[in-house]
Amino acid sequence: MMKLALQKLTVGIVLRVVHAALVELYGLDSRVREEFDRMPEGMSYALQTGYAAPELYVQWKDGRLLNLKKIENPTCALRLKSTGISFRMFTGQMGLAQAYAQHAFSMQGEIADVMRLARLVNLVEGYLFPKFITKHILTDIPALQVNPLRVYGRIFCGFLTGRYN
Amino acid sequence: MNKYFEFQNAVKLLCGDSALERLANELEHLGARAPMLLSDAVLAKIGTMQQVVDAMAAEGCTPACTFTDIPVDSSLKVVNDIAALYRSSGCDSLVAVGGGSVIDTAKGVRLVLSQEAEDILAIGGVENLVRGQYIPFVVVPTTAGTGSECTGVAVIRNDANGVKMEFLSPFVEPDVAVIDPRMTAGLPPKATASTGFDAMVHAIEACTCLQANPMSTAYGTTAIKLICENLEEATRNGSNKKARYAMAVASTMAGIAFSNSMVGAVHAIGHALGGVSHVPHAVAMTILLPHVMRYNLERCTESYAALLPWLVGMDAAMATPAEKRAAAAIEAVEGLARRLNTLCGLPLTLREAGVSRDDFAKVAEFAVNDGALIVNPRAADEAQVIEILNAAY
Repeated sequence: MMKLALQKLTVGIVLRVVHAALVELYGLDSRVREEFDRMPEGMSYALQTGYAAPELYVQWKDGRLLNLKKIENPTCALRLKSTGISFRMFTGQMGLAQAYAQHAFSMQGEIADVMRLARLVNLVEGYLFPKFITKHILTDIPALQVNPLRVYGRIFCGFLTGRYN
Repeated sequence: MNKYFEFQNAVKLLCGDSALERLANELEHLGARAPMLLSDAVLAKIGTMQQVVDAMAAEGCTPACTFTDIPVDSSLKVVNDIAALYRSSGCDSLVAVGGGSVIDTAKGVRLVLSQEAEDILAIGGVENLVRGQYIPFVVVPTTAGTGSECTGVAVIRNDANGVKMEFLSPFVEPDVAVIDPRMTAGLPPKATASTGFDAMVHAIEACTCLQANPMSTAYGTTAIKLICENLEEATRNGSNKKARYAMAVASTMAGIAFSNSMVGAVHAIGHALGGVSHVPHAVAMTILLPHVMRYNLERCTESYAALLPWLVGMDAAMATPAEKRAAAAIEAVEGLARRLNTLCGLPLTLREAGVSRDDFAKVAEFAVNDGALIVNPRAADEAQVIEILNAAY
């Protein structure tokens, strides 16, 4: 039980960091900006990470990626099949493509929306994880447009100033 | 070996001579008394559908309703309309007679009915559905290529945006597939060649994409061998029952393979070419396969090399130096396409297929949003897709 609780805690923290990274990379990486700029207004994602586990609800609205408490009918809802799988995904042990290949999640919505999310997550992982991890979890390591330390720095400041609330 | 994989094939296969005559008995066993027969106008006109109706009638089974207006590229609206007709006609089961479009439409109808939905768009997703209401479902494929009779996916066009949508669920798999070589006997040479090559693409992508697993590879490699041994003969001599039968079985095996390990960039780009430039699916597959294999080569040296014995035979493969086997596998695929081009004029380039370069940007945009790309062994962005399209032009 202790292990499960720690996994859920870790996943919950990483989910917040992933959201923060997406917010920061919108201003730092042209590919992330392009993905969001192409996104339909009001597009929303829900991510469930297991039974009674952390959830992430984000919505693209007015040029901002909002982190919401709950979205009733998200455009695209992803449900990871167990907390253990989520832990592996959010700690750099398994990429999104590998998760798909291993039937690790179910999805409600259009596959095109998952592909869009996959491209964004791949870019985020490229910045947040070192190369020795990304070479195992990504089919291609994205070229980085800014130093990852700058991304981490901005995320740190963002949490301190409450920018993601 | 994969750290984890899943494999499912719940379809009962009736294969060979007299398979069609057993259809009525299977329906009875599934509890079906008033089947809805789905097909297309061409099959209704040339008598293929009537063969099925006659075989059913001989055993005392008559369709309660027949729908033959399924177009080549079926749409979500067609699916919803058929589901409404099913409900108003008092049907209790589905029999689909046709190629990929008819079978995928029928799968969509089954999903709508079993989930008690009004619109298939509302239930789209991946492995997101519970079993729902049971609708007995039998398919009779009339091409040897799509493998749709054994796959857990339905590909249906969304008219609103021109995108071919994929609905993935184990509950779209039919209960029974009737693999009767008589059903493909009248297929013209060009259609025989292109649909057979489509099966080849299913098998090769299933054996080499990220989701490939030992079970799907066993089905895929056997399918490749059967296709290499029989596709040219089936194209050259359509009345050769042995070749037709082997191709029908190969197509089904390739379907089982890719249903359990997905397909890759050939399909992602091919779906987009179908949606944007209206290139027939099987023609797009034939044109794209060697070019995508070259694109993937740096990540697939081992997996392509492993396919060579199935493509050219063990002796020829062993006579090829190990470091040249992957490239030789691509050459073998290209050689087959060229020979089919000589036999029946199967297009080898996008230019021959009537595609305009002006479409490339839109095709690339659609392709990177296609689910098949996620398990391709090498990632591809829009610029890389356009490179592949240029190479195939």
